[in-house]
Amino acid sequence: MDRNYHIFSDGCLERHNDTVRLVTLDDEKKYLPIEKAEAIYLHGQIDYNTRLISFLNKHGTALHIFGWKDYYAGSVMPKRGQTSGRTLVEQVRAYDSPAQRTDIARKFVDGSIHNMRANVSYYNSRGHDFDSELASLDAAGARLTETTAVEEIMGVEATARRAYYSTFDSILPDGFVFNGRRYNPPTNEVNSLISFGNSLVYANVVSGIRATALDPAVSFLHEPGERRYSLALDIADLFKPLLADRVTFRLLNRQQLTPADFETDLNSCLLTEHGRKTFSKAFEETLEQTVEHPRLNRKVSYQYLLRIEAYKLKKHLLTGEEYVPFKRWW
Amino acid sequence: MTDVDPVQRLLRTARDDARDESFRVTGVMMQYYVVCKRELWFHSRHIEIDRGNSAIVRGTHIDETAYSDKRRHVSIDSTIAIDVLDDGRVMEVKPSSALVEPAKLQLLYYLWYLKHVVGVEKSGVLAHPTERKREDVELTDETEQKVEDAIRGVHEIIARGSPPPASKKPVCDSCAYHDFCWSC
Repeated sequence: MDRNYHIFSDGCLERHNDTVRLVTLDDEKKYLPIEKAEAIYLHGQIDYNTRLISFLNKHGTALHIFGWKDYYAGSVMPKRGQTSGRTLVEQVRAYDSPAQRTDIARKFVDGSIHNMRANVSYYNSRGHDFDSELASLDAAGARLTETTAVEEIMGVEATARRAYYSTFDSILPDGFVFNGRRYNPPTNEVNSLISFGNSLVYANVVSGIRATALDPAVSFLHEPGERRYSLALDIADLFKPLLADRVTFRLLNRQQLTPADFETDLNSCLLTEHGRKTFSKAFEETLEQTVEHPRLNRKVSYQYLLRIEAYKLKKHLLTGEEYVPFKRWW
Repeated sequence: MTDVDPVQRLLRTARDDARDESFRVTGVMMQYYVVCKRELWFHSRHIEIDRGNSAIVRGTHIDETAYSDKRRHVSIDSTIAIDVLDDGRVMEVKPSSALVEPAKLQLLYYLWYLKHVVGVEKSGVLAHPTERKREDVELTDETEQKVEDAIRGVHEIIARGSPPPASKKPVCDSCAYHDFCWSC
């Protein structure tokens, strides 16, 4: 499976002969195996030129840029291998049909609730008592069938997510307080990790969508184009519990991240470079983890699940065959 | 469009300068018609395949390298892409003889197209270079009928609003649409 490369140092990324070379400020040179690169993540201050972009384009490698406070800053995506007017037409048609749009939006939230529940249920069987939170999640899921408008579906999602987040303070070790989701900028360590993790999920979904001819700005649950690639927001929600949240819990509970990995400012709390490195390493390991896929009859990586999700949505739009959202089955 | 025989329609539009795209049938469509009608439907909707698929990479490589000194690639009407041998026969190269029927129909369609649209009669040869096998293929009344039935069949499939449902076949495992088709 194609890999992601994360660059934390400052310097210059360039095409050198037929490969990509990183030259850091202290003149150290490193080479990236471009043939295996799905995407390159830039976390430091990096100079690059058009020659590099053409080269990445040729290899279909995306460049995701991470800023400081808000983490995800943008992407330089390879030119599409194939565009499909019909796919876009069907995507917009589905968005424009209230019945079809709410159906897809409901599927996204149904899958999200299932995946949040999987995390809560895991910790419920490990010494925590989350019966009431599980009941809230189930109640939210049941309410979903009665919804008729996207705003209502959004409301159900918000209720479920609040119930889900309310378990975090018990799951996390002493010394780390979550106290509800805050972002722009994150106000404490846990929020900072969730923001960083979510932006990594998001960037990987952007890459997954690009493997299809789906338009990343036409979405169903979120308003289209409301914030950057809104279709990536729709799909990322399904995977945040599996990817971002589990990595956060694991790193804090095993004390692989400590308060020293954060920088606290006036009203923000951000990961240090070391903290980001630790997190993205654990995140990449998670993406490479595999699971037996019941219908494909082989093991697939978590990262590939993101691409499958884009395939599934595209297939639904083009054929009318049912879209079944990703629900953790193991 | 009502009640017009697809074969007649294809011939009329292929001979015309302003070609009706919806009646264009390519060689690969003939092949898919025999291998998998769902794959044909996906292809007709320009659903992209996984170009990194190992069977695709292998087939492309063999097609590009085998007999390169003796055959010439010719594209006609941007509809059929044939390889002409030194002796004037049309050659179709396939990696293996596992899917011989679909390959044969593809080649027969080329011969049919050359005869009825371009106006030249050719004979064909189907080659499996890795197995050192070759087979002569000729257009006869019987095989012409087979080609025309297949053209009608192709049109019937791609006119559908949704693809034929998935069914598991041995070829599924190496198909470039496998993950697209089987993820639900």
